[in-house]
Amino acid sequence: MTVFMRRSSQRAKKMADAMNVGVNLEAFSQAISAIQALRSSVTRVFDSLKDGMKNKETLEGREKVFITEFQDNLQSVNRDLNELERLSTLVGRPSESHPLHNSGLLSLDPVQDKTPLYSQLLQAYKWSNKLPSLSRRFIRRGAELPTGFCRFHIKLQYHAGLASSLLNQQSLKRSANQMGASAKRRPKVQPSTLVLPPQYVDDVISRIGRMFPDMSIELFRPNGTSAVLLVTLGKVLKTIVVMRSLFIDRTIVRGFNENVYSEDGKLDIWSKSNYQVFQKVTDHATTALLHYQLPQMPDVVVRSFMTWLRSYIKLFQTPCQRCGKFLQEGLPPTWRDFRTLEAFHDTCRQ
Amino acid sequence: MGVTCVCQVPLAEGKSVQQTIDILHKKLEQLSAVKQGNFTVDCETYHATGNASGQPTKLLYVMHNSETPLSCLALFEGGPCLTADGNFDVLMIKLKSHFQNAKGHKVESRGSRYRYCDFLIKVGAVTMSSSARGISVEVEYCPCVVPGDCWNLMKEFMQSFLGPSIPELPSVFATKPEGLYVPADCVDTMTQYLELFSKVRKQQVLPGTTR
Repeated sequence: MTVFMRRSSQRAKKMADAMNVGVNLEAFSQAISAIQALRSSVTRVFDSLKDGMKNKETLEGREKVFITEFQDNLQSVNRDLNELERLSTLVGRPSESHPLHNSGLLSLDPVQDKTPLYSQLLQAYKWSNKLPSLSRRFIRRGAELPTGFCRFHIKLQYHAGLASSLLNQQSLKRSANQMGASAKRRPKVQPSTLVLPPQYVDDVISRIGRMFPDMSIELFRPNGTSAVLLVTLGKVLKTIVVMRSLFIDRTIVRGFNENVYSEDGKLDIWSKSNYQVFQKVTDHATTALLHYQLPQMPDVVVRSFMTWLRSYIKLFQTPCQRCGKFLQEGLPPTWRDFRTLEAFHDTCRQ
Repeated sequence: MGVTCVCQVPLAEGKSVQQTIDILHKKLEQLSAVKQGNFTVDCETYHATGNASGQPTKLLYVMHNSETPLSCLALFEGGPCLTADGNFDVLMIKLKSHFQNAKGHKVESRGSRYRYCDFLIKVGAVTMSSSARGISVEVEYCPCVVPGDCWNLMKEFMQSFLGPSIPELPSVFATKPEGLYVPADCVDTMTQYLELFSKVRKQQVLPGTTR
């Protein structure tokens, strides 16, 4: 336990170094030792209870000694707890701002020793920031700076600037919430593509449904404005697609002969399929909906997803393109390539 | 209820019914199929009395399947069929005057039920009046309902444990109005069992297999 405490305090120190420190390190280490003291006094209470009354001459004597001991132990627990509370108020809060914004969350990875990703990332960041000052120092000293050095830094900054502007343009965020901002500062405005009139969504879906004759799409709105689609593909499978405006949120695939409604008559959007093949197809469909992403044109995304899903009409008839067999571990080829729509077994795909 | 294929497996060289069944069980267990209990399919024959002379007596078959324990199926060979609940047997007793039970003709298949991924495999010994007459194997691919879609897939699976003695496409699928592209149902399974039992009734008693 003490080794664990020591390691956790070391880790806490590292984290505190990394995060712009508002933490009182002294108080922090004192608080950790106070926790240890509290733990040992609590253990003492339970040990004394377990040991029971000590051997004395009279019954009253035994009881008295036991009670006094118990009271002493409880009082020491109380003392330690108060000390801990006092120290915890002194420790302070770590700063909210992460130096590397979202990647600061990498510092929460507990396996710090094996994958020191965050500390390496910080070092790389600090190094690239120091580059201009280093190069200036070289120039001041009149040393011949390898031109590649400067050019590299300038190029790095230029590319980083380009990348950040591109990424900020196309908001890839699927949720409306901003990371790291406090509740008060969170903007009330959602990205424009997340708020679309339901009529538009209905039109897009019905247009896509007409594109494919062997696929029927029914639209429900069981909970508010989010559409839930029931896609029936021939006599092979039924898919429930839960949408969020025109973005596909999640999907669940079940067999043609399985029940899609729950006991109260509503669409059952949670239970998994009873068959392993459709559980696999559900996993692949989830991968597909994460793969097909185009934030500014969500209707193209839905169309691509439906085209991909339609390739499952021949789920049981198509052999694997790689091994040529129908079955691998009892499953037919469940993977459909995102570009070519060819069928592969899950274990056969590249 | 998925696509089901029922077939008769010939006995292995020089082995008895029970030994061949054990070989099949071992092959299934090698595939890592899991045993999930037992199954029974039986068929009783009733002669329709009161027919005009000259006409062949119509035979009514009443079948039970442990997969659907609360139902029973009554069918004429090649004719209409009826799905009823368990009390139908009692009704047949009441209809003694019209349908007579041919007691010696009761055929049943009894054995173990295995599950492998989405397949259900039932290997049973076919017996008629306590004499073993053959081996029936039923393979069901549960996720698919259209026989035409998964026939090749099922053939590949059956080949993995039955070896070369894989059956042909059951006639019950070929004779459907749309051929292979209609949903399969439990009547198809029972029709296949009926065909197998009729074949078994006609063939002679296997040597050395009477219990």
